[in-house]
Amino acid sequence: MNLDKAFKATLSADVYRIHSLPQGGALVLFRGGAVRTLDVLLEAPQQEIENLISAEAIRWSGAFMEGQQPVLIFTTEKDRNFFVYVQKPKLCSLHKYKLEQQGSAKPLCFTAHITNQTVTLLCLYSNNSVYQVLIPLQQNTEEEEEKEEEILSKSLLLNLSVSGAVLKGTSLVVLDKDHIAVLGSLPEPGKKPKECLTIWNTKFQTLQTSKELPLGTSGQLWCYEEKFFLIHGKVLTVIMYKCETSSLAAAVGKLKDSQTLDVSSFVNWNTLEDEELVVSFQSQESVALKAESRMSLRSNRSTVAGQSGPLSVGQLLLRLKDSSNYVVETELKKLMAKAPTPDLQATIGCVVTALTDRCKRNPKFYPQNLLQEIVETRDLSYSLCPDLMAVALEQKDLHLLQMCLERFPDIPEEITYACLKAFLSVSEDHLKSVDVNLDSAICYVDVELNDMEVKTEILENGFSEEMDQDMCDTKIPQESRSVGESCPVGLQKAALLNAVLHSAYTETFLLPHLKNLPAQQAVLFLRYLYYLYVKCSEKVNTTLPGIRSPTINQIMDWMCLLLDAQFTVMVMLPEAKDLLSNLHKFVRAQVRFYSELNKIEGSLRELQRLNHLRESQTYSIEVLEII
Amino acid sequence: MSAGRAWAAGAGLDIPSAPRCVTQTRCWTPPVIPGHEARSVESLCWAAGDRLFGAGLGGDITEYDLSGLSAARGVDGGGGPIWSMVANSTGTQLAIGCEDGSVKIFQVVPGGIQFERNLDRRKGRVLCLSWHPSDTHIVAGSIDFFRVIDVTSGQTVQRIMVNYHVEKAKRECVVWAIALLSSGTVVSADSFGRVQFWDWEQGTLAESHTVSTSAVLSLAVAQEDSIIVGTSTGATYHLQLLPVRLGGLEKRWVRTKPFQFHSHDVRAVAHSPTALISGGLDAQLVIRPLMEKVQKKSYDAVLRKFTFPHRRLVSCARKARLLLFQFSQYLELWRLGSTEETGKDGEVLPLCRMPEHLVQLKSKGPEHIYSSCVSPCGTWLGYSTASRFQLYRVHCDGDGVSLRKVPKVPKLLPPAYQLQFSADSESLFVASARGSVHVFQLLEPGGCKHLHTLRPPSGCSEAVYLLAPSADGHWLAAVSGDWAIHIYNLKCFKHHCVVPTYDCAVSAIAIHPSTNNLVIAYSDQQLFEFSIPEKQYTSWSRTVQSRGLHRAWLERDSPITHITFNPKNPSHILLHDTYLLCVLDKSLPLPDDSALLMNQSTLKQLPETARKRQLHAFKICKKFQPLLFMDLLDKNCLVVVERPIMDFKTQLPLPVQQKKFGT
Repeated sequence: MNLDKAFKATLSADVYRIHSLPQGGALVLFRGGAVRTLDVLLEAPQQEIENLISAEAIRWSGAFMEGQQPVLIFTTEKDRNFFVYVQKPKLCSLHKYKLEQQGSAKPLCFTAHITNQTVTLLCLYSNNSVYQVLIPLQQNTEEEEEKEEEILSKSLLLNLSVSGAVLKGTSLVVLDKDHIAVLGSLPEPGKKPKECLTIWNTKFQTLQTSKELPLGTSGQLWCYEEKFFLIHGKVLTVIMYKCETSSLAAAVGKLKDSQTLDVSSFVNWNTLEDEELVVSFQSQESVALKAESRMSLRSNRSTVAGQSGPLSVGQLLLRLKDSSNYVVETELKKLMAKAPTPDLQATIGCVVTALTDRCKRNPKFYPQNLLQEIVETRDLSYSLCPDLMAVALEQKDLHLLQMCLERFPDIPEEITYACLKAFLSVSEDHLKSVDVNLDSAICYVDVELNDMEVKTEILENGFSEEMDQDMCDTKIPQESRSVGESCPVGLQKAALLNAVLHSAYTETFLLPHLKNLPAQQAVLFLRYLYYLYVKCSEKVNTTLPGIRSPTINQIMDWMCLLLDAQFTVMVMLPEAKDLLSNLHKFVRAQVRFYSELNKIEGSLRELQRLNHLRESQTYSIEVLEII
Repeated sequence: MSAGRAWAAGAGLDIPSAPRCVTQTRCWTPPVIPGHEARSVESLCWAAGDRLFGAGLGGDITEYDLSGLSAARGVDGGGGPIWSMVANSTGTQLAIGCEDGSVKIFQVVPGGIQFERNLDRRKGRVLCLSWHPSDTHIVAGSIDFFRVIDVTSGQTVQRIMVNYHVEKAKRECVVWAIALLSSGTVVSADSFGRVQFWDWEQGTLAESHTVSTSAVLSLAVAQEDSIIVGTSTGATYHLQLLPVRLGGLEKRWVRTKPFQFHSHDVRAVAHSPTALISGGLDAQLVIRPLMEKVQKKSYDAVLRKFTFPHRRLVSCARKARLLLFQFSQYLELWRLGSTEETGKDGEVLPLCRMPEHLVQLKSKGPEHIYSSCVSPCGTWLGYSTASRFQLYRVHCDGDGVSLRKVPKVPKLLPPAYQLQFSADSESLFVASARGSVHVFQLLEPGGCKHLHTLRPPSGCSEAVYLLAPSADGHWLAAVSGDWAIHIYNLKCFKHHCVVPTYDCAVSAIAIHPSTNNLVIAYSDQQLFEFSIPEKQYTSWSRTVQSRGLHRAWLERDSPITHITFNPKNPSHILLHDTYLLCVLDKSLPLPDDSALLMNQSTLKQLPETARKRQLHAFKICKKFQPLLFMDLLDKNCLVVVERPIMDFKTQLPLPVQQKKFGT
């Protein structure tokens, strides 16, 4: 968002609310019930906005994504009748439903979520009950269009009654399929009603936990990313929560041992107390009050006692199974911040395994940053988390693969090969948007071709043009330069391939896999290796600049290996012919160059030896000519 | 010309034990006073004009007889080993710092020194001393502290701990050098590598400069605003008192220039008006001109390095092909190897006979050897220490060699500063004190008779240090410490003439075998040829003087130490110094300054015909360095003795290890 570009647009109708959607941009809901995307609206601000709801007043609205489609739902009220509208602005479809009447009670608060093409609308009614309304999304629009005001039937989801007393709810949010949170006030005989935040299990119709808010609230409750936001007195209070799979035992507060399987602990205010984020100042009084409010509900007593410290490994692993990304992240951060203990390494291995298991089960779950951080900061090995690289390959997480290749000492050749193949096959365009560590390649891969002078200058260090022509009567310098001139792969791909070059392997095990490499990819890889070799040879010390850049030995070993594995294919391929012949000539020139150097070295050695002989010999008779 | 060549296994260094202070460096061929094993010299100072005193761990204060080149009188300091000695500004008093912590004052009186009094004695050896320029106070440096003593009362008026502020105070901090400036500032140099400036009256540290990680060993002050210090890593540093702001009054000491000229301890530093001078344990003397003080770009503006010795420590028996090496306390006699092959320039010829170590002759007693010589025929051998003169008859029986001491050598006043046998090995010339030369007749099978004593007619107080007999046995030239060259007729034992005085030290002389011309090399690199029969300079010598020698020749650092002639070619004079050997061909034109002096390598590349025009009189070969000795054995055989620097560096204690280039 660029605030500099903000400008004012005057619209032709009143706006009720603007909804923003993760990928769908912004949706503008007008008081008249019309919906426009912000883009469309800003193109022509003065466009006519139709009025869909004549005298109805919008009470609530919510926007969701269903597939690639934004869906906007809003409720209206007119003469104690409530209507629900479901709009798909992209498809220009609009459905109007009427909510079933519920005696004298009227809805106070709505909330909705979409699962499986169905909108689940939850309504908090003034009779202290929560009703659930299901609205199917995919209908044959044409037919339905004809019908007037389809009436939606609702079902009672929950009665907000707490041991006889009834919670007068004011706001409602859905936490997951079994849990909702309600902010409301609990009347106490002879006293002012006390306000509290409650979490209910709808499956078992129980109150899971509640938190008293003695300073009073505005009656509003928001919930984003597993945090509640509410106004408590003068303070904006942020409360983190966790939901676990509900179980009967947990619901009735009979959870005995938190370590037993299939039993989940539930929201625990106390463990999270420390993380309460207090935005404005807090008076001593409120602190004292909060301390009182720490008294938890009956059902949670046992769990509270058992879990006040950091989570044990077992618990953590359980939690990793299905808590949301955010929870996983915070838990693991806590774990990693711990002082290193002897078993921490193993623990982290287990954690990573648990995470990858979950990833395998649920392809949508993939905590990329977390995994990268773990790999980067911990000395993991392949055997400690055998599935990690497979998952990363599946998820095409190239950066993670790069890290693993650079860091793991024990990657099986099969996986190395899979990585190589993945790297070679991924398109350069796609790579441009991928974040990989470029340190190993950035120092020598020429992004542009305009630094010709620099290179020719360097080249003279290795071998001069004339010398080369003297040695082998072909015109190698030109050719080799034309091939070695520019890097055959992009910077990102080069960095990834370098990671492969860096990994440890055994030739015997790698060779069979390499034979399977598609010919085009093999040629590309060879081209890149050749490029590296030429680059290396430019320098006197035959090393490439940069961090973790491949060494000449790694390059040569891979080149030999690749040629061994693919030689018959290469020979057949017309496009590999030039490459092979250039490579051959270049290598031959290098061999001659080095054999010359060896000769010089030998001569120098001999000179040194003679000199040494002279030094050590304290007596000699020499011929001295004086002219 | 094929050259026999021997490498000396070791030769004594002239510096008895690297003196702790250098005070005068005017003379280029310094007279040498041989050392004494029991008397190491820790400190030297000039007093009462030009009298030289030395003190050392032997506990004696010795005055040196500079004309007789010997240690003259010794006085016991009475405080155990003496670590330091300084004279006051007028040179009338000497203060010594002793092992027992005492500081004693001696009065310099004619003919010696006299104990005057003890100053306040404190525990801890006194390693360095310095007088206040007004002679009112003495500052004495010890281990961990230094103190300021009032000379009149003899009381310690201030005692300052130098390691008070240092964390690493567990090591002792040795104050190696100290200076008291007229402003009342005390400059101390210590083993922590610090040069510190103290206000002694307040007892406060004004400035501290950590110049080195190793010890600072020596310190010299000039003009109260310039200091040079030397460290144990071989580095010297220059510190200057400079205004903080240009034109401002506030001044600070600033370390301005670091120099690294030595490989080992810099034991002594001196500060002349235009140069910094340092002497190190690596036997080198370095003169580093201060560029801001030198106006012209001239000889003075160039860094000078001197390696010693500058005298002959090897003698050669030409006919017998023997070499005698003189070490500080023993002699070694070697027979040269031989070959039957010939070859091209630069070739190493296979030996048909290996060189042979014939005998090692140890001198008895702690005294170092003054001089030694072997006769041309190789049958006589003589040496002299400060108190004894010994003559031996060398018997070669087959491969074995035996020495027999010649009994009843005439009693003379030793030492002999130079020994020289005549060409026919029938007489021995002994250079002695007061300008006298004794002539001995050698008798078969092993006897010796004093024949005559030659003395300059005008008398002379200085000792003779160079001798040159003529090949025909007719003439003898002798050079004494006053640089006068006297020529004697040996037929009638009469003084023949004196060479016109030239105000410079003579570094080598020799008489031409056929012409009887005396060739003289001075330490300012001038060369003269004096005809003995005609008692005048030769025309060639006059030409040389009028033309002038090549600038590159004159600007060499090391003096010519030996001259010899080619019997086959009378126009050839062979000379050598530490870095070159030169065949001077009088028949060729002298080079002028525009010509290349060292032109041998150029000549070798030219075809024979083209060489003619390029030839000049100086044929210089720099192949052998550093050169200790060179002599012509016969018409085409030259013996050369090298003294590799590395060879004697390995005999020195290891230098302080230094990091170089991050290794």
